Amino acid sequence: MSDSIAIHVNRYRPGVDEAPTEQRYDVPMDGDLSVLEALNYIKDEIDPTLAYRWSCRMAICGSCGVMVDGEPRLGCKTFLREFADRGELHVRALDNFPVERDLIADLEGFMDHLAAVKPWMMHDSERAPAEGEYRQTPAELERFQQFSQCINCGLCYAACPQFGRDDSFLGPAALTLALRYNLDSRDDGSAGRMAALNADEGVWRCTFVGYCSEVCPKDVDPAQAVNRGKVASTINYGLNLLRLARGKHDA
Amino acid sequence: MTRKPYRAPQRWNWWLKNPAYRRYLLREATALPLFVYALVLVSGLYRYTQGQLAFTRWLEALQAPGWLVFHAVAVAACVLHAVTWIELVPKLLVVPGISGRSIKRGHQVAALIGSALVDAAALASWPLAGGAS
Repeated sequence: MSDSIAIHVNRYRPGVDEAPTEQRYDVPMDGDLSVLEALNYIKDEIDPTLAYRWSCRMAICGSCGVMVDGEPRLGCKTFLREFADRGELHVRALDNFPVERDLIADLEGFMDHLAAVKPWMMHDSERAPAEGEYRQTPAELERFQQFSQCINCGLCYAACPQFGRDDSFLGPAALTLALRYNLDSRDDGSAGRMAALNADEGVWRCTFVGYCSEVCPKDVDPAQAVNRGKVASTINYGLNLLRLARGKHDA
Repeated sequence: MTRKPYRAPQRWNWWLKNPAYRRYLLREATALPLFVYALVLVSGLYRYTQGQLAFTRWLEALQAPGWLVFHAVAVAACVLHAVTWIELVPKLLVVPGISGRSIKRGHQVAALIGSALVDAAALASWPLAGGAS
């Protein structure tokens, strides 16, 4: 094992560079070092101008998503030992998002997509606190728990060629979040989320590439969620046809 | 400071850069040989309506090496499509109490039995088709 590893980082300075260019940094090799810690080393010891996002260092905050050798990964969950044999790795900002600077992707549109599916608990009638909490059995929790593990890191969007082609697509995480609430026994808001799922930008834009689920650092399986959304959208379509046939308005 | 975010365009060769995308496009591309196969089948039906001689000639024409290779490709595409599709079924069909693995196995067995039944029916009715025997 060599005593240093070459990290090629895509640099982009807005207003100065037309497009990102690669810059090489040699970092002392340590198998226990994560890519995020290597970036910290570069910023502290070599080049203080390097810009990137990070916070928790333990795959909870979802801030340090970057492309490592072309794959969307969390910097804190990817270790240099994986690249020891090759002696080099390439890091760039998450694909499919505008690059704000260096490794920082602009996730504002992504945040808007999350809000578009109304990701909060809705009740037909509000219960007074004195009436007690909304209770749930372990089996009811099990139905949505996996989908509530999402940390909004955006890796699934960087993995989605449909989002890359047209970023109006609500995308894997937002559609997963919609299913998470629709499957929650305490929620009555699924009818209000169907418009977003049925829309042109909704579930039908997905062509089941499936790579989103491969890159998810929390094993949420967004491809499953989006495609179960297609089943829900189909059922909703059928029910609406019935309603219209009976002379009622569609819901 | 003014912002000037850089937007990378999606190039035509985006799918060449990642094995997951190549597998996806291979799966989608299985539609092409199956589309041509459907055209061949429809042309056979058309020949059938034109009488026994026309249909026999169509059958003979299909025995050319090029068509045999095409049919081998079409069968391979069909199998790949079925295998990869059934692989995805557990993501669409979630039944509480039944594991995704069991659902996948059930579909695989059903696909095999269904194919065997169709093949058996085709072989059993073969002497009737154009009287080639």
